[in-house]
Amino acid sequence: MSDEIVLSLRGVPQGTVDASSLAPHAWGELAAGDVARLALRVEGVGAVALGDVFAVKGERSNRVRVAGDLSIVEGLGTGLDGGELLIEGNVGARVGARMKSGRITVTANAGWGAGLEMAGGTLDIGGSVGPRSGAAPLGAKRGMTGGELIVRGSAGPEAGASMRRGLVAIAGDAGEGTGRATIAGTVVVFGAMGPNPGQWSKRGTLVALGPVTPPASYRYACTYRPQYLSLLLRHLRDQRLPVTSEHLTGSYRRYSGDLAELGAGEILAWTRN
Amino acid sequence: MKIRGVFIEDTFAEAFTMRAARLVITGTSPRWAMAAALKLTGFATSVIGCKIEAGIERELGPEDTPDGRPGVSVLAMTMGKDDLPKRLIERVGQTVLTCPTTACFDGLPDAPDRVGVGSALRFFGDGFQASKVIAGERYWRVPVMEGEFLVQEKFGMIKAVGGGNFLILARSAPAALAAAEAAVDAMAGLPGVFLPFPGGVVRSGSKVGSRRSKTMIASTNDAFCPTLRAITKSDLAEGINSVLEIVINGLDAPAISRAMKAGIDAACRDDVVSISAGNYAGKLGPHHFHLRKIMSDGAAA
Repeated sequence: MSDEIVLSLRGVPQGTVDASSLAPHAWGELAAGDVARLALRVEGVGAVALGDVFAVKGERSNRVRVAGDLSIVEGLGTGLDGGELLIEGNVGARVGARMKSGRITVTANAGWGAGLEMAGGTLDIGGSVGPRSGAAPLGAKRGMTGGELIVRGSAGPEAGASMRRGLVAIAGDAGEGTGRATIAGTVVVFGAMGPNPGQWSKRGTLVALGPVTPPASYRYACTYRPQYLSLLLRHLRDQRLPVTSEHLTGSYRRYSGDLAELGAGEILAWTRN
Repeated sequence: MKIRGVFIEDTFAEAFTMRAARLVITGTSPRWAMAAALKLTGFATSVIGCKIEAGIERELGPEDTPDGRPGVSVLAMTMGKDDLPKRLIERVGQTVLTCPTTACFDGLPDAPDRVGVGSALRFFGDGFQASKVIAGERYWRVPVMEGEFLVQEKFGMIKAVGGGNFLILARSAPAALAAAEAAVDAMAGLPGVFLPFPGGVVRSGSKVGSRRSKTMIASTNDAFCPTLRAITKSDLAEGINSVLEIVINGLDAPAISRAMKAGIDAACRDDVVSISAGNYAGKLGPHHFHLRKIMSDGAAA
């Protein structure tokens, strides 16, 4: 048994690598050879052995480290259900999709659909993410149903779109349509929130700690300090997100919406006292 | 055994297993957290008449509370595990939900048994309530005229001990009261315990049942009433003219032992003749706190 299993990219793959069939949480009983024989799909090639794409070091561990430029490796950590996956560098689309528990850490940027439909655990992205992080796949009804997606850079359009539960926290800016059509859940954005946040949302909370313009289908309710934000922001501060004392002591303008939908959602826009 | 001339009787306090919750009430200032805590713990001296026993454990600084505001830690106990959620829902609903600026959190997060409190109080929100899960715990935001009332969905419930006690037998009523006050002061703020009676002191210790009524479950402890010494089978020696009792409930037996040790030591002062304890010959309660053992080594009996 090793402290960790290390996968090192052997070179630039011939095409996009689909790693969604791997289940690293189940590698605690696998020898190095068994890991190397697991199947991946490479675009234009078909099924290949993991060992053909990655050099495998270590065995029988639920802690897996993946190194190299993984920008064209998609679906890493799909369905993760425990254990720990550390991705050193950039990673492609759909990292942590449908993960249930455990922790995935990405030290740099991630492609579109990070945390797509995730149900639990923590997905911590050190850089920025592409469109639809924590969201539903296009055409699907529900995005995240649980867990925490932390983005330390910025997020592309439609972060948290159609999410049902869970938390998305974005340290930088968020693109257009943040929290679009949410069923519930929470999106916190420390930077600027792009146009049309929360449009078509039934419930759910968007916390805007930077500039935000609520859609016309949201209506201003009051300015107050929601006590639950003290808990939430303290929790995010513990996750090393840039929470300031002004965030904790400030007031928030509450906008209810989307009034074209159920109207039970809200945008809480931080305002200095 | 004597402490500063006060005789420690060779007897024990007999206590019962109860169910307990710890509530952390926070507010925008200590004033409002305490206002809610005082109301919540009001009329909660004995399960005999109040259905719940509750008291303030200690005041909390902002660094000790989940939302970083001043708070008060309250302990609440009932005899049965089914009673506790009912009583908590009643009391939190009437005294914390109603109190400006306050929020209510679970103070026993590691307890595996969880009882719904916020999950019931949310209905006051009439469909406008909303829940949030933060770090795995669900909280309810109930809209109120002031803004929002925040309450945790579930509270931890553990087995605890109720009815630790000692009696202060003094030459005069002022001497008994002064000794009781000193004992209460010495026990104030000790972790895991509370004193459910007014000011921490009971003047009306009871015995089980009644001489005259079959329906009364408790009546005056005539054996310790000085005015009845001449006409009842008294446990009071000549020269004892007043008796006060301190009742201590705690989250576990060691916490009660520590509090009893501190309280008894403080109560051993001028014009106190002896320290005794209430029991039922060991037939009713599984927890026995032997005074001399506690005062010699502090260990639970």
